[in-house]
Amino acid sequence: MGGSANGATDLSSEMEVDAFRRLFPLRFHERHLLESVRPDARSLGKARETSLALGAVASADGSALAKIGCTTMLAAIKMEVMTPAKETPDEGCVAIDFHMPPICSPIVRPGRPAEAAPVVSKQLSDTIISSGMIDLKELSLVSGKAAWMAYLDIYCLDADGSLFDAALLAAAAAFSHLQIPVVSLNDDGRIVVVSKEKEGEKPKNKPVNEEKRKLKLRSIPFALTCILHKNYILADPTAEEESIMETLITIVLDSSCQLVSLYKPGGPALAYESVVQDCIALSRQRVKELQKILNEAILDMEVD
Amino acid sequence: MAAKAGAAPATYSPSPTTYKKNRPPIFTDVDWVRPDGRDFHQCRPAFLRTGAVNAASGSAYAEFGNTKVIVSIFGPRESKKAMLYSDTGRLNCNVTYTTFATPVRGQASDNKEISSQLHKSLEGAIMLDTFPKTTVDVFALVLESGGCDLPVVISCASLALADAGIMMYDLVAAVSVSCLGKNLVIDPVSEEENYQDGSLMITCLPSRNEVTQLTITGEWSSPKIHEAMELCLDACSKLGKIMRSCLKESASTSQG
Amino acid sequence: MEVDRADGRTPNQRRPVVCTRGILHRAHGSASWAQGDTKVIAAVYGPKSGTRKNENPEKACIEVIWKPKTGQSGKPEREYEMVMKKTLQSICLLNVHPNTTTSIIIQVVNDDGALLPCAINAACAALVDAGTPLKHLAVAVCCCMSENGQILLDPSKIEEQKVKAFVYLVFPNSIASVLPEGSLRPGGEVTELGILTSVTHGVMAVDDYFSCLKLGRPAAAELSDFLRNSLKLKAGSDPSKAG
Repeated sequence: MGGSANGATDLSSEMEVDAFRRLFPLRFHERHLLESVRPDARSLGKARETSLALGAVASADGSALAKIGCTTMLAAIKMEVMTPAKETPDEGCVAIDFHMPPICSPIVRPGRPAEAAPVVSKQLSDTIISSGMIDLKELSLVSGKAAWMAYLDIYCLDADGSLFDAALLAAAAAFSHLQIPVVSLNDDGRIVVVSKEKEGEKPKNKPVNEEKRKLKLRSIPFALTCILHKNYILADPTAEEESIMETLITIVLDSSCQLVSLYKPGGPALAYESVVQDCIALSRQRVKELQKILNEAILDMEVD
Repeated sequence: MAAKAGAAPATYSPSPTTYKKNRPPIFTDVDWVRPDGRDFHQCRPAFLRTGAVNAASGSAYAEFGNTKVIVSIFGPRESKKAMLYSDTGRLNCNVTYTTFATPVRGQASDNKEISSQLHKSLEGAIMLDTFPKTTVDVFALVLESGGCDLPVVISCASLALADAGIMMYDLVAAVSVSCLGKNLVIDPVSEEENYQDGSLMITCLPSRNEVTQLTITGEWSSPKIHEAMELCLDACSKLGKIMRSCLKESASTSQG
Repeated sequence: MEVDRADGRTPNQRRPVVCTRGILHRAHGSASWAQGDTKVIAAVYGPKSGTRKNENPEKACIEVIWKPKTGQSGKPEREYEMVMKKTLQSICLLNVHPNTTTSIIIQVVNDDGALLPCAINAACAALVDAGTPLKHLAVAVCCCMSENGQILLDPSKIEEQKVKAFVYLVFPNSIASVLPEGSLRPGGEVTELGILTSVTHGVMAVDDYFSCLKLGRPAAAELSDFLRNSLKLKAGSDPSKAG
């Protein structure tokens, strides 16, 4: 490896940096790794700047915009009413869908959905449902008759690597922001929203969920994706890094540092136990960071 | 994409707007207040930003009241393999809606129609002969639909094209007017659009005073059309100035 | 110590494995793999010329098509396809046939737990049967964490639904190499200890994951010996198949 990197410096001195980056992307990155730095001036274990804004979509019941570096995710929840399944009369449901519209990346074309979208979608719903963040019983309205169906749609607005991490953050934040509308059961047996203007009048039907306006979220899961390349571990990769160094490992930990998912789909580099330990340590730090960012975003919203 | 119900049980939205079909009496009077309290001839405040999407060659975000759209430009890049040789460049437009864009989930209007209208209004402004054999892709995503989606998408797209450095004769500004009873309202919100008798949309090149597209639907009298066109053209030239200043701003920040 | 497993197995006992190669005549390579009542057939076609769009034409492209037992393929199948594609890509020598596509079709015959590991093992045997150039084999196992903290190997469908969490692990097979000991990896770590693929489901403590790793490795080594033996047998009895 040292030999190839030295050869690279000889070449790069005669070539413009930009051209070198395009022609020899792997050598370009390895030359940086040798100095323990990445092309965007981050250290190897550092994630990109992360921001979170709650309530980005006015027409949704709960929404959030998450940005990790340039990767941008918009998540919104719409609550609809359904008849619960016979086996679980006291439980609502959560339907999660991840979309990659053509605006987000040059690879996605209209009419041909991105390969990654259904996979991320499945991973998100597995992670969110198996983490136990949401108690589905809280989504019940009238036992056996009506329950909430929470449609969570996450749109990738800008794809620049670590899509799953950003999508999970946006999803968790959207659930934190979710305000369940007050509803009542009308005479036809349908659930309708109790409108604010008519509050003066005596409500004909009693609201069924005045107490249950917010979900109590238990143990929110947070994710960190790392690249394994030779002996290096690169946290929170960009799209360019992901395309050049192909071994990815995504670790999801919840607030109490329980392991929710450890996902490593193949890749040329093998994950040894020590490497997995290192990645988990990085994830632990990241969970703390993300938890703080989420708490701040919730506080910001309450002040407004 | 949005219509895919799959195995999910049938659900309905509890919000009451779903079954309100009759036109509320409020719009039949001569004097009524618009839902957001604007004057009849007053546009919504416009917020425009370029460079919203890093992965694209150029992009813009536009927010007019509750209408929020993002447009990304990709290219000029290789045309589809099936395409024949062409001396001039091609323009490919696509508009999609998020599932939460409309009050009821996944009830967005026909994307094909809007995409082709976007194509028609932009193609006259772009110097297609500057990128022969290749295609420029204009992809729009309506994040929230709050009325006047198409004009906002068009204006936003022209800003994104400028951001991508695609050669154009001028920016394209688009404004629409709704006819509600005796009144003309500019830049209608979706509530007004739902009850309108007719609508008129102009997309124009403000500094060249040329119109690239004019769409009139519904019931109109000739003097009304004349009045509406005057209104639109005036608003377009103002919008053009805002767009221009937005571009200048982004150019100066990127330099300094 | 004894846990009640419905089929009377001990916690770290696998179900019996059956592997048959060359079961399809038209495919370039095929294999069926059964672990207990879970059975999967894999067929390999290719290398065919050309790669799909967005793939690197300087390397061979691996394509996995997952056919569920019934119904159409949806999101879970897409995920399986993606995991398998990435896993198989990393064991194939992609530089040997650049700008070609090798298709692997996975047909689920019966799902009784540990479906993805079973499919990966089947695909691996089918790739050998087709004579696709490989760096090494991959062996996949499934471990699960029961409610009382016991780790069970190779769960059945009912066990998979009951348990708190389960882990699919794929390891490279133990290399019987002519190279001197220790020269396989400069870092001093032995290749077969590295995780090729890991997919987990459900919440568990971090330590439990490592316990699963500890249990999974010897199981994978056993499977790897089984796989090697069954491949040898076939190669010995039918040398003409090699092309």
